[in-house]
Amino acid sequence: MMEELTALDPMTLKVSELLKEVHLQTSSSFTKLVEDTVSAIRESINQIPEGLEVTAKEARGFVRDIGADKAEFKFKRPSYIEVCGSYSINSIARPDTGVDILLRLPKECFNEKDYLNHRYHAKRFLYLCVIKKFLKSSSSISKVEWSTFQNEARKPVLLVYPANNISEAPEFFVRVIPTAKSLFDVSRLDLRRNNIRALNQDGSTLPSPRYNTSILEDMSLEENNEFLRKTFAGWKELGEALILLKVWARQRSSVYVHDCLNGFLLAIILSYLATHEKINKTMRPLQMFRVTLDFIGNSKLWARGLYFHKNVTITKEDRMKNIESFPVFLCDAHSSTNLTYRISKSAFSELQEEAVITLQCLGKFGDGAFEDIFTTNVDFSSKYDHYIRLNLKGSKEVYSSGFCLDDECWRLYEKQVHDLLSQGLGDRTKSVRVIWRNSSSGCSLEKGFSTLDREPLIVGISMSTPEKAFRVVDIGPDAEDRDAVLKFRKFWGEKAELRRFQDGRIAESTVWETKDWTKHLILKRIVEHVLVRHLSLSETNITQIVDQLDFSLLHGGTDPVSFFPNLLGTFEILERRLRSIEDVPLKISHVQPLDPALRSTSVFPPEPHPLANEKGSGGKLSKLTSSCIQPLEVMIQLEGSGNWPKDDVTIQKTKSAFLLKIGESLQSNWGMRCDATEDEVVVLLSGYAFRLKILHERALALVNSGIATQRAKRVFGADKSLFFESQHASMIKGLLKPYPAYGPVVRLAKRWVASHLFSASLADETVELLVAYLFVKSLPFKTPCSRITGFLRFLRLLADYDWTFSPMVIDMKDDLSPSDKKEIEDNFRLSRKGYAGNMQNISPAMFLATSYDKASEAWTSSSPNSMELKRLIAYARSSANLLTKLICQDESDSLRWECLLRTPFNNYDAVVLLHGDKLPFPRHLLFPSLVNQGRVVARGNASKSFSPFFSSEDLRGRNLQKLKDKLMVDFDPLRLYVTDLKREFSTVKLWYDALGGDAIGLTWDRSGSKKRQRDEQEDEEKDPVSILKGVGEAGKGFVKSVHLVKVPKLT
Amino acid sequence: MRNSELDIKRMKSKKKRRENEVQVKNEEESHERNAGAGKKKRRRETKNNDESGEVVRVNEGNTSMEVEKVKKRKKRQRKEIVAKTAPVEESDQFDDGSSRQKSGKSNKSKKDKKKNRMKQEVASERVDIQVETEKQEEDAYCLSSGDEDCSKGMKKWLTEYHENRPGLKVLQQRIDDFIISHEEKLEEEKKEREALAADGGWTVVVHQRGRKKTTDPESGIAVGSAVPIAKVDDITTKKKRREVGVDFYRFQKREAHMNEILQLQSKFEEDKKRIQQLRAARKFRPY
Repeated sequence: MMEELTALDPMTLKVSELLKEVHLQTSSSFTKLVEDTVSAIRESINQIPEGLEVTAKEARGFVRDIGADKAEFKFKRPSYIEVCGSYSINSIARPDTGVDILLRLPKECFNEKDYLNHRYHAKRFLYLCVIKKFLKSSSSISKVEWSTFQNEARKPVLLVYPANNISEAPEFFVRVIPTAKSLFDVSRLDLRRNNIRALNQDGSTLPSPRYNTSILEDMSLEENNEFLRKTFAGWKELGEALILLKVWARQRSSVYVHDCLNGFLLAIILSYLATHEKINKTMRPLQMFRVTLDFIGNSKLWARGLYFHKNVTITKEDRMKNIESFPVFLCDAHSSTNLTYRISKSAFSELQEEAVITLQCLGKFGDGAFEDIFTTNVDFSSKYDHYIRLNLKGSKEVYSSGFCLDDECWRLYEKQVHDLLSQGLGDRTKSVRVIWRNSSSGCSLEKGFSTLDREPLIVGISMSTPEKAFRVVDIGPDAEDRDAVLKFRKFWGEKAELRRFQDGRIAESTVWETKDWTKHLILKRIVEHVLVRHLSLSETNITQIVDQLDFSLLHGGTDPVSFFPNLLGTFEILERRLRSIEDVPLKISHVQPLDPALRSTSVFPPEPHPLANEKGSGGKLSKLTSSCIQPLEVMIQLEGSGNWPKDDVTIQKTKSAFLLKIGESLQSNWGMRCDATEDEVVVLLSGYAFRLKILHERALALVNSGIATQRAKRVFGADKSLFFESQHASMIKGLLKPYPAYGPVVRLAKRWVASHLFSASLADETVELLVAYLFVKSLPFKTPCSRITGFLRFLRLLADYDWTFSPMVIDMKDDLSPSDKKEIEDNFRLSRKGYAGNMQNISPAMFLATSYDKASEAWTSSSPNSMELKRLIAYARSSANLLTKLICQDESDSLRWECLLRTPFNNYDAVVLLHGDKLPFPRHLLFPSLVNQGRVVARGNASKSFSPFFSSEDLRGRNLQKLKDKLMVDFDPLRLYVTDLKREFSTVKLWYDALGGDAIGLTWDRSGSKKRQRDEQEDEEKDPVSILKGVGEAGKGFVKSVHLVKVPKLT
Repeated sequence: MRNSELDIKRMKSKKKRRENEVQVKNEEESHERNAGAGKKKRRRETKNNDESGEVVRVNEGNTSMEVEKVKKRKKRQRKEIVAKTAPVEESDQFDDGSSRQKSGKSNKSKKDKKKNRMKQEVASERVDIQVETEKQEEDAYCLSSGDEDCSKGMKKWLTEYHENRPGLKVLQQRIDDFIISHEEKLEEEKKEREALAADGGWTVVVHQRGRKKTTDPESGIAVGSAVPIAKVDDITTKKKRREVGVDFYRFQKREAHMNEILQLQSKFEEDKKRIQQLRAARKFRPY
């Protein structure tokens, strides 16, 4: 019994579910489809007349570009057509349901010396051209297209789409791959021989190992497939392990590409491990998966090359030579073909790293790792920190020395870009990955290779530590070292400077001076300089994904974060003054910043206001002097006293009395303006406003101790939430130092949330926690180092996280003990228990647990609710998809980037537009909103009694004191309007942008219980137009227009 | 104001006041007050509504000019709508931002549908315009800027903003007043209760909430009954030690073992259930 239980641990269960979903079982209908298609192909090939004369005329462009000197033969039908690949070993993994067939090129069509000068490749292609022509005329085949074998343009293959299809495999096709079994003498294709006469340097020919292997690969295809079939036959677990590996690799598009892994190689590696008894019959698929990853990631054997045959001895010298020719050497069992000859060095280290990361996930999270390994998409656009796209359409530089010599020009160009960037960026990066996909299927290869540059070349860069990545000065070689200086100068050009450094050293260097808030652009400048200098590319063809979203964070052209040091300094002064207050009965013992602006996670940290100074005005008053100022929240604690009242009302009143005293003291001692209402006290200092709050621990102790009933919680809400805020603030502050990208990512995320009108659904703190989760639990990624990558991962996290069934535990420094985790798990179960059947209305819909809040009470207890979360997820998903596209596809249009933050209004029942010039901070508005659906229900005029800027008369008046008195603290009409609306219209749900949007979305709220519905039946029946009019009335002077987008359906 | 100062100072001096009954009473009181406030509010709201009703009526009173304007606007609007049906493509581009989530990949058909829907809407709009001529003044109903009206909108918020800031002195006075009246009330209530109790010859005994104070809140020094409690603890632990361990008898071990298995089983069942739910949510499809 125990055994059964352990055998079915959650991970195994999940894996078997995954296999059910992914593994394409060969049903009879599928088998029939494959057989029918193959026999259709056979039939049409049989119609080709034997002895047909084939000349280069069939595909002049191809033969020319490949550089073949001779290419004529008489057609003969292939003697061998067999299904191979994943279908033959029963390991097709959805969604890629293609089936490969091998087609043996007959020996009669080739001459003995055709391995020379690309003649083989030319004939191979011509042979396929003939077949293609005949396949096209077959009635049971709908489409025939060109593709290339592992992106190698000189080795095209045919994709054959049958006319009939079945629902199991909707995009089914058959790939026709020619083989060259025993066409040539293997010894002629030795790695050290030259077989392309054009390949020479200073008269002496160079070896052509890649070209040779390209032919050898075709010669060994059949045997290798036979070998795989034998290994996998009757071994179900091995096939399943292969599927798991494929799923894993496909989620990682940076290693499942032409210069790294493919399904065939994974099968080969598995069978290597099987023949070397690292995998045996007692193992389960997941174990094999783990062993394989461990082998890929950690084995020392890769450095010496892998050889299938154990008995055949290879001299050490040969081994060395093999490894010299190729970064990875995996010799097959029959000939001595290197099956991994396409794998590049950088790709392989990337692969090893991925394998190691996955093993870490497995070791760390147990069954929680399932999602990280198999279902999280670690694709190119979310993996790296910095992206470069090169548009090389029609760029002749790429193939200036011919398309194909030993290697193809595109691969050489990839390498060139890689080397340039690696040299230019040095230790600023951890890794640079360059990928250029060439074969977009459907291209007409007959015309040659010049159209293969349509796709952009993409570079992904992982940054090293931020101190290194954003370093301002790079120090080069010493001035004395002549050769090195020359090299350095040659590489950097006019950017190289001779400098004397503080330690007395005189050395060559490059300097990338910039302001603090644009430091993240240093990398961009270096890349641009290097690429423009060495690749003769124009700047317009270089797109770098770094700063495209910065526009949403700027305020009047600069990033307001640049005032952060100033703000911190002011806060310190405030703290000092508060602590030194003597004329208040209890001393202030503790001052803590609570506001996001004081931990640089606020979208718009305030700039110093010229009228909020103690004396005079701080600088000249500009034309656009704001008449409002946002206060920043600061928490203070008083020294203990036994004489606090014991009931909440009096406690709060006493607090207010204290705050008034403090404000008064600051005002009289330091001349700081104090602005007070019954509930809050704000003091102004050096251009900033601070709202003071007192945390009373005793009230808190009452809540935290066991006697806290529901009622008590409600009563002591003020202190409890203040406590949460303070805990949260100090926790988040701890993230800023180690993760400099954290601040900008949070700001982008908040901006996104607000601009899609989710301000009411997702608290600021929730966003901060979600982003914090990305940073502290970065696996299966590396910690994000750039704002755009972080932002994309935030969107994906929101969209993909399993909110219904998993709590999100934000464990900052691994400081949660197992018992804490258990407590969280129990709390979570409790919150989900009552809703076993109905998952629609769970609360909290988003369970966020931290060390200070193990029951998710602090931020998400009331919002988002399930309905809001659903909406959020949908928005996040579409934004994430758009952003992914923007990163990887060639779209130089900046408008498309704006779409990420523009919200469509057709998802609301009604929309209220506000007067943009009555918002307290009009410059926070991203885009003025426009509604062009539905009909206008009401229009309103703007009030004359409020303006966000001081009028020119006021400014001219020169009466500073008067102006200062006019400065409004924390006046936010939007907030006031929303409160009024919430009070008056309970049937309407509001969506708004608290950062300063000019639109409010309305949806008719039908989520209420039945009882409530009955109560408000009359209200419901009220016609929507009159409700909307009321909505407009409530915001007179502020509302520009009210639009009815959808009339509510009668249910 | 002096009073609040006193109040605060009293805190500093370590006089202890026993206010055990206060809490209960206070809650009752606040309830009452809340109820009262609620009523008041409701009353105020109805008043507001009346007022707004008046305003609306006034507006409707001089609609002759308004109607003209509205008619013109309506015409313009109609034109706008007609113009807007054409560039559906444009609006689609906007949709890219976020509204894709529903449209998915079958864009074309949806686009067509959308077009149709738009057309229909426009058509119905036209019908609306033709048939409901009376309703015209309701369309695009005009809101005043509200500068003269303090009950709603911007003017109200501004007035409230200024009303809420009467100055430090006044605020302090208010707090003092509140605390004085609050205390008076408490005092009165206490007296009343005492009087009541004395009448019937009873004394009111109130349940004391929370733990007994064992430390002085300011100095952290243990006070009162702290020591005896520790002693009691000591005794109980000693007693416990003499008791038999939980795994002394074989049956205990057996039971523990069984329990463990049962727990594992239930966890396993739970996992299975969860996985079924996940499957239903299509969480196992990696593409």
